[in-house]
Amino acid sequence: MGAFLYGVSLQWKLDIRSKTLLITCYIVPLLFFAVMGGIFTSVMPEARYTLIQSMTVFGVTMGALIGLPPSLVEIYSSDIKKVYKANGVPLYLGLFLTNISAYIHLFIMSIILYIAAPLVFHAETPKNPDMYFISLAIFIAVSLNIASVIGLAVKDQAKTSMISILVFLPSIMLAGIMFPLELLPKAFETIGKLFPAAWGYKLMTESSFKYESLFLLLLFFVLAAVMCNILLRKIDK
Amino acid sequence: MKEAIKISNLTKSYGSHVVLKGLDFCVQQGEIFALLGVNGAGKTTSLECIEGLRKYDSGSIAINGIMGIQLQSASLPEHIKALEAVKLFAKWNKTPLDKEALDALGIYDFVQKQYYQLSTGQKRRLHLALALTRNPDILFLDEPTAGLDVEGRLSLHEQIRQLKAIGKTIILASHDMAEVENLCDRIAILSGGKIAFLGTVEQLSKTIGKHYNITIRTESGMEEYESENIGDSLLALLMQYKEKGETITDIQIDRGSLEQHFIKIAKGA
Repeated sequence: MGAFLYGVSLQWKLDIRSKTLLITCYIVPLLFFAVMGGIFTSVMPEARYTLIQSMTVFGVTMGALIGLPPSLVEIYSSDIKKVYKANGVPLYLGLFLTNISAYIHLFIMSIILYIAAPLVFHAETPKNPDMYFISLAIFIAVSLNIASVIGLAVKDQAKTSMISILVFLPSIMLAGIMFPLELLPKAFETIGKLFPAAWGYKLMTESSFKYESLFLLLLFFVLAAVMCNILLRKIDK
Repeated sequence: MKEAIKISNLTKSYGSHVVLKGLDFCVQQGEIFALLGVNGAGKTTSLECIEGLRKYDSGSIAINGIMGIQLQSASLPEHIKALEAVKLFAKWNKTPLDKEALDALGIYDFVQKQYYQLSTGQKRRLHLALALTRNPDILFLDEPTAGLDVEGRLSLHEQIRQLKAIGKTIILASHDMAEVENLCDRIAILSGGKIAFLGTVEQLSKTIGKHYNITIRTESGMEEYESENIGDSLLALLMQYKEKGETITDIQIDRGSLEQHFIKIAKGA
């Protein structure tokens, strides 16, 4: 346990030193919040009721999909994995440590948004904070699992960035945070529902648990976890 | 002396390409053993099979002790500091931090530098330190001095000798013949997926026979000759130069380096 905790604290430090995660988990989401929060609440005053949720879905999706895969590619598509394997460090450690560290960073960013949005843009806080934070915890885990699949499946940084953006853009555009899903053409609405961001946003804006969103998010989580397991075994061969 | 490693009839193929055709050899405890081979001879495949990094088709590998592995091509996250990496590996292997060994390897000289800031020599020393975190009985060193300057090379040689002195078994893969000649107790030369030679450096020289290189300089240039019989060859060459009327300015005779013997065996087998 001591080794694992040391690994988590070390990964936390590495993420802060690398700057990439700082940019994708804090700077870009918070800048987006500063700009879009102002625009959203000016153009549509009712946006303040869902501002915390929409900005959080953007920040978490961005931090997970753009921030995490490069760290995994650095470990699993390089000689680092051989050094780990050769010297008794299990291959899954890199995946666990980067995920836990990213999870903590994304949770902190979400808390910053939760506190800042009411102060800056008079945003409404969720009616049921306990449910909101449970939903947030689930959504972060699902997003990181999806990001892990990309990081483990793709072998080079350039392709990883491209695929991450290909998943990130429709996630955000079609999640319902920019425009209500009902206003989108049926095809786009259907495509949007293929990404966890739409269900995460739905779950976080609901005042009580709707099992459809929860079930689908858990399904995404399990499928991604199974794929991560398969990919890790493939890497280990 | 006990066997640290025993390899029996080891085979490995990649598709239809047979890389190892039944390797048999033993490494004794406490010796420095070199595995040599030209590119494609199966050296890396053999090492990776022994190290457990690659599966083999048939045969057996018996390892008597804990292994520590320094890979030739190795890397770490670019922002990790040297001591952090050593601590992570030591904690994961549940071994105490050997500060003396770290000091001997000079890890404390660059303890605050991140991995991407380290020189090639510092990275090599760090990876050796990581290989030592398990307190291994058997240490695999794959091209440990590649890319190092003379000072770094000598320093690492000294550290390898010290590791042998405290009883570690060392398996060395190297292209540096001087290094092998200086450090190793025994060598195995791989050729075409088989062991072409196994023995000491002296035995290798004897296997090749009395092989001499003769270099003759004249005012018009330099010529090199190879000979099995130094007396007859030298006499014949002197006569030949005298007949041609060329003045000899210098003659050098040497018995040929391990490298020459190695190439001869590796290519001839």
